[in-house]
Amino acid sequence: MDTPLRKFYPWFTALGLLVGGLVIAAYYKDQFREWKTWQREYVKTELARASTPAQRADAARIPVEIRQFVLPELDRVDRCTSCHAAVEDPSYAGLRVPLAYHPNHDRHPFDKFGCTICHQGQGRATTREAAHGHVEHWDRPMLEMKYIQSACGKCHLPTDVPDAPKLAQGHDVFEKAGCIGCHKLHGTGGVIGPELDKVGANRSPQWLLTHFKNPAVVTPGSAMPPIKASEADLDALTLYVLSFTGEPLSAYYVSMKTIPGPAAGRRLFEEKGCLGCHSVGGKGGNLGPALDEVAKRHDPAWIVAHFRNPQAITPGSLMPQFDFTEQETRALTEFLLSLTDTNVIGFLKVPGAVSPIERGKAVYKKYGCAGCHGADAVGGIPNPNSKTAQQVPGLKFVSEGYTKDELMKRILDGQREIPKMDPNKPPAPLYMPPWRGKIAQGELDDLVAYLNSLLPKGEKVDF
Amino acid sequence: MLKRLWKAFQGTRVGRSIFRVGLPANNLERAQAAISSFLLHMQPAKVNRRVLKFRTTLGLGLISLYLFVILTATGMLLMFYYVPATDYAYQNMKDLEFVVTAGQVLRNMHRWAAHLMVLFVVLHMCRVFYTGAYKRPREFNWVLGVMLFLLTLALSFTGYLLPWDQLAYWAITVGTSIAGYAPVVGQKLKFMFLGGHVVGESALIRFYVLHVILLPLVAVMLIAVHLWRVRKDGGLARPDEPQATQEDLTPAQLPVTKTYGLMELARGTTPAVGINPEDEVFTWPHLVFREILLFMATVAVLLVLAIFWNAPLEQIANPVHPPNPAKAPWYFLGLQELVAYSAFWGGVVVPALLVTALVALPYVDRKRKGVGVWFSGERKVALTMFTICLSVAVVLTVIGTAFRGPNWSFQWPWKPVHVEEHGAP
Repeated sequence: MDTPLRKFYPWFTALGLLVGGLVIAAYYKDQFREWKTWQREYVKTELARASTPAQRADAARIPVEIRQFVLPELDRVDRCTSCHAAVEDPSYAGLRVPLAYHPNHDRHPFDKFGCTICHQGQGRATTREAAHGHVEHWDRPMLEMKYIQSACGKCHLPTDVPDAPKLAQGHDVFEKAGCIGCHKLHGTGGVIGPELDKVGANRSPQWLLTHFKNPAVVTPGSAMPPIKASEADLDALTLYVLSFTGEPLSAYYVSMKTIPGPAAGRRLFEEKGCLGCHSVGGKGGNLGPALDEVAKRHDPAWIVAHFRNPQAITPGSLMPQFDFTEQETRALTEFLLSLTDTNVIGFLKVPGAVSPIERGKAVYKKYGCAGCHGADAVGGIPNPNSKTAQQVPGLKFVSEGYTKDELMKRILDGQREIPKMDPNKPPAPLYMPPWRGKIAQGELDDLVAYLNSLLPKGEKVDF
Repeated sequence: MLKRLWKAFQGTRVGRSIFRVGLPANNLERAQAAISSFLLHMQPAKVNRRVLKFRTTLGLGLISLYLFVILTATGMLLMFYYVPATDYAYQNMKDLEFVVTAGQVLRNMHRWAAHLMVLFVVLHMCRVFYTGAYKRPREFNWVLGVMLFLLTLALSFTGYLLPWDQLAYWAITVGTSIAGYAPVVGQKLKFMFLGGHVVGESALIRFYVLHVILLPLVAVMLIAVHLWRVRKDGGLARPDEPQATQEDLTPAQLPVTKTYGLMELARGTTPAVGINPEDEVFTWPHLVFREILLFMATVAVLLVLAIFWNAPLEQIANPVHPPNPAKAPWYFLGLQELVAYSAFWGGVVVPALLVTALVALPYVDRKRKGVGVWFSGERKVALTMFTICLSVAVVLTVIGTAFRGPNWSFQWPWKPVHVEEHGAP
């Protein structure tokens, strides 16, 4: 070695140590992961709980590793259990999160549903901040627990879920406020406001709540009237609207949609027109037997078998064989079993037994007319610069200005141009959308019957 | 102990077959070390003392090469995880961050090395210009350098799309639409790159293939030729006049007898022409050791960057929700700034003129003046023109990067304007 080489030694030493140190630092940073702390904690707890040598050996064998649910059908990988290692262990019930048991997961097993389908957040992440979604560039943080029932509405119908009363309440507010008069949801509704199919995935609860109370604050220039409802109702509405995520469901999840419970059963019972042949509480048809006390005559297994193939159980039965899914059959059966309770019967909608006016009222609600014309058609919704006192007109006196045919034509064709109060100002934002092709003729008849019934008593109906 | 083991290994048949020469102990072996090694023979056995001086090149070209090597290594490792499909690409990034061992560090190193490579290639080009090193006989090597610069941009740009996040998606959308402004062929060109009219699956796979196969392959070949020509053109450019004369040298350094090997004979300004060969030192160890130290320093800087700063990753690409403003990668923001004034001038004329001017430069500026000298007083016109162009490019890039907010309106970098998102969800 010649002398000039020596001067390199300190440089090689210094840079060698620096690079080596940096590699070690990078490795340490990579190896230190939050979830390992919690899994070690879990193993430690298990070891402390173990009372026999065999249990101790089992506990010692628990691996510290990434735990995840891979759910290709739901397009997600949930690694939440890397920290929440005890969610499936009931003996951790009520303990401190993250090492706590998750109650009520029997109906939604983790290996089929994972976590984020209900809770949101970032399933692939393995740090607390990132997984809970409270980081930059992650739009869907974990759902606040007060809105958790909205998750049920992603798959189930809002009125079907017995454990989600707020979802049903929100649905009710949504209908009463007449949102779909202007907004389209799942293909039905007006075109004045934007479609709502994915609004729950794109907006935060705070945004929605503000939007309901005062639309113009978050959407300047919005024509939408504020929704007048109690704080609790608006909260429920927010919760319900959050369930509009538009996530596509694969076949398995669609088949699980109907909850086998009396609520879904009743919905199916009404939808399928069972009362056309059967009667309950004296209402309905008489082609088939009355169903009031069907639970006393038959056991559940008989009812289920009868749904599957009526003629096999009752030879010569006139009842058609419906293609109910397993879940639907169970739902209908549970509903039939609940019929002994007379309270249920009172709520039943019986076709034919309801007056056209009553049905028209339902149509008025169904198509969201209340959104602009007000609840019970009293009007009062502001529509700046419209000639009708800058408001959408109420419909109480509609029978005085229109014949039946004119009214029908008006509903079917709508009115795009609203006469201006001040011709120099911009046109009124709200207008009457055409309902042709959207509303059925029967519904239209009922709606007109309802509208004509609104004239206060003592006033002349016809000209 | 280690030293003895190493010596023993080199003494074996296997050891000799691999290394041929042991650790050199005399000048013959030092020369052989450089000549007989594949990696080292890119350089002559002896180099001019000037080469060792840091201020001669500032190590810029070498650092660019190192960054390319690091990018190849980290890129290869990343390829084990990456799937070039719109359904998986973004999820791969998340997996690299959250579950792959050292995945985030790997990606960070790759990302920062890519940005640094663009920067260092530009700096290297400036060095070559300011020292007049592109003059005869090195004109074509300058042209190769310009091609390598464009390749570097293309490599960085194609890699930019791969994470498939909002940043990637919209940067590529903006970048390719700049290409679309070219007359006649613009739209066809854009269609060819994207495999469609918008960035989608086919654009992703095209960019991926370009990024991991085609462009690196071309780059490796051009780099090889680039380095080969440096060697064949007589090493680094240096002034025509001998820097040291026989009188400057001490008697002890004077040669008594001297024969020259083939490796010391090359065209032009060679060690053998017009200058005393004793102004030279052996490549091993003087140059090689310095090169290794520079490599270590480069790796160290990259590791620091990779440990403390994560590569950006925004939301998953959303074709219906453009950010405001949507910006191209930073090295194209000067162009985007120009495009904001005039699509035709900024997107077509200026870049075309720039590339043409760069390629033509060594053939226009032909006087052999100021070669190998920083900011030579004999090249005032050339220096001034280049400096003005460079400053304009830098200023435009800085404006485009830091001073442009929503709707490309002016903003101060420390007072960013936030636009609340309104309208339909």
